[in-house]
Amino acid sequence: MYDPYILSEVGSRNVWEAGKKVGYAVNLKINYYRGLPLSCVDEISLWVDGEKVDPKTMYIQHRGHEYAYEDILKDDFPTDFYWVFGELLRVVVKKEGGIEQGPHKVKVVLGTRRSYTPTMVATCEKELIFA
Amino acid sequence: MKKENDIKLGVSLYSYQDNYYFHRHDLEGCLAAAAGAGAQGVEIFADAMIPEWPYITDAFIDKWNGLLYRYGLEAVCLDHFSDRAMWKNKQLTDDEMFERGVMYLKAAKKLGCKYVRILHNEHCGIGVSPYVLTTPAIVERLLPIAQECDVIMALECHSPTSVDDPVHEAYLEVADRLNIPNVGLQVDFSTYEYCMSTADITYCVYNGCSRHVLEYLRDKQREAYFEGRPFIFDEIKDDFKNMDLNEHDKEYLDMSKHAYGSSIKYGGVIQYNGQYKLIDWDKAYKTLKDYASKVVYVHGKFYDIDENGQVDNMDYPKLLTALKEGGYKGYICSEFEGNRRMNVAGWVDEISYVNKHQKLMRKCLGYE
Repeated sequence: MYDPYILSEVGSRNVWEAGKKVGYAVNLKINYYRGLPLSCVDEISLWVDGEKVDPKTMYIQHRGHEYAYEDILKDDFPTDFYWVFGELLRVVVKKEGGIEQGPHKVKVVLGTRRSYTPTMVATCEKELIFA
Repeated sequence: MKKENDIKLGVSLYSYQDNYYFHRHDLEGCLAAAAGAGAQGVEIFADAMIPEWPYITDAFIDKWNGLLYRYGLEAVCLDHFSDRAMWKNKQLTDDEMFERGVMYLKAAKKLGCKYVRILHNEHCGIGVSPYVLTTPAIVERLLPIAQECDVIMALECHSPTSVDDPVHEAYLEVADRLNIPNVGLQVDFSTYEYCMSTADITYCVYNGCSRHVLEYLRDKQREAYFEGRPFIFDEIKDDFKNMDLNEHDKEYLDMSKHAYGSSIKYGGVIQYNGQYKLIDWDKAYKTLKDYASKVVYVHGKFYDIDENGQVDNMDYPKLLTALKEGGYKGYICSEFEGNRRMNVAGWVDEISYVNKHQKLMRKCLGYE
């Protein structure tokens, strides 16, 4: 659901800390008709210019908090942090030097569990301009 | 707009999901759209349009009540979800499922909703959901809470089930046994699709199917329905041999690929045992009429509206007549679901679709 729209054109950019590029970010919207707890995210896989991003370098930023991607997949993650319908979820890839400014091909696979049907998996691929 | 008809018309805000998802309208915008369509009430998904969910602050309730007052609407129904698979390798226990059920019932009371669409275990029929949803045993525990909240749990009889399907009975028996009548049957018009919708065609074409193949299939389904005979796929399957089918067409036309579903392909409903039953439509409308006085809530589902103002794959005049003649008293809420099928091809004007749908229902009920 919403497959062509889960990868947002908004806010793809380098992440700066103390004057240095320490990574880059993309924003996702949910592939469903309602919001879900972050604990119901089954998978976020990212490819940039054809190269798979190491999940260990991925962090999820949501409402002023940052979680290691692998932590939201754990079976004790809180159930009341909702990725609300239509809300942007920021995925930050920590990488020294960030990403070269300009267009890059980005692909994301997003899996979310809704229990009453099998897990929904959406794929979206587009060229994003990184600031 | 306050009217004292037995059958009242509302809108599920789910119908405006693209407006919300793409930030064209916020909650107020969606409520205004529902009021603009002439609706008296609304259904809301807390999981979609209450930003602070799973919590609801008093401040939100103040805002909600103010908006309903401003637009002359009443809260009708809140949708419950059964997120049993809360984690990758661990599921909610029955106790936790019960607690979440309570959370939805209390939320409905706060919002002023009389009904909670309960996502019960047989919502999609038997053996479809990969996890155990809300069972009769959980509903049994929820019943006293529902009574306390003065809320009725509506069992959504969704395709491939129907109101007379025995799978829903266990829930009603529990209510009988406890003598707490706070659970009842909800009709969802998905049960009554007599052909695939043009919205489905748009979606399938986006995914690689050929338009002419699906339009042929749909024409044959419609032909059968309007001639009053069952649509039997096997009778026309040879027609597709000369059509230069691509892989997607072949997959769509392969019966075994459809594990369950509605009448989209077969003019019948695939049953839980993998067989499909051919629908006797006259009997289906009569059954709906027979059950109407027992029904507590109705989802007026639709995917597309044709140039004559009719829903393109369900017989609304017959459905609404059955409900009316059968003595249904309650809400029918527009549930537009064509958005997510057609939005792959561009913007879908949900507001205009709902306006047309409300107009159609008013006409069918003799309100205008």
